[in-house]
Amino acid sequence: MIGRKALLVIILLVLISPLFGIVLADMVGYHEPLDVAAEKLGLKEASIEWTPFSDYSIPGLPSTIGYIIAGLIGVGILLGIGYLLVKAMAEKK
Amino acid sequence: MHIPDGFLDPVTIAITYTAFIAYLVVALTRIKVNREKIALVPVLAAGIFAAQMLNWPIPGGTSLHFVGGALAGILLGPFLGFLTLFLVLFIQCLVFHDGGITALGANVLNMAVIDVLVGYGIYKLVTSTLGDNRKSRLIGAFLGGWMGITLAGIACGLEIGFSPSFPYGVLITVPVMGVWHLILGVVEGVITALVVDYLYPRLPQLLLMQQSLSEGSQE
Repeated sequence: MIGRKALLVIILLVLISPLFGIVLADMVGYHEPLDVAAEKLGLKEASIEWTPFSDYSIPGLPSTIGYIIAGLIGVGILLGIGYLLVKAMAEKK
Repeated sequence: MHIPDGFLDPVTIAITYTAFIAYLVVALTRIKVNREKIALVPVLAAGIFAAQMLNWPIPGGTSLHFVGGALAGILLGPFLGFLTLFLVLFIQCLVFHDGGITALGANVLNMAVIDVLVGYGIYKLVTSTLGDNRKSRLIGAFLGGWMGITLAGIACGLEIGFSPSFPYGVLITVPVMGVWHLILGVVEGVITALVVDYLYPRLPQLLLMQQSLSEGSQE
């Protein structure tokens, strides 16, 4: 069954994600092409804040654990919304 | 490639939001309900979300993460693929502040429309030219993933470079975004090809895609 297997892969990705999203990024610095282009123009990020989970962090938790929990929250929300949407679309027709 | 708040001027924000909402309306009216394919949307959305959390920092240079728009386009077509990426970007923006709220239109346009359409279009072109076999699927998915992220990167460069306060901004941002994504995008192409190659024989739903390809019909 694709569902269970896919879910396992997704959870595995989330579990190893702090290695790439936090640990390696702290070691060598995360710098994507957009940052390079923005730097050249001197563009500044505006700091409007609306969520406690900014940048995949959970308030009060270490960044690596927070990153995993944020990942699980995101996966949960997407599966939930996606499921409701699928149900709504299937019923519409 | 997620543009934060503060990078876009009001005109670009208005244009990109209009384009994104127009595509959303078209997508919602054009999606033909195919229960089996639609059921893949939540799983693929969650998978792409998780894959995007794996940032690959490259010492001394720049970094990348998998985007997945082309993959969604190839697997689910231009409208359900869009819907999948749109869900990912929407949650990333609202819940995790990854991508600005004023830039949501631009981010959706780049990663859920351009990346999805280019990936789908190139894959379709290659598999219909070379015939639907494993080799053409690998080539089509690789080129689709590679070109999809490259064009999305160029579009992103246009959006952040186009501003009255930087008259020649695009001359700087478009080459930076285009060249870097052309180089880093090879990885996106390889991952897209491997995932399509792995999923194709395992998901009977995708056989329907094969039919619609040979009939040349839309989603």
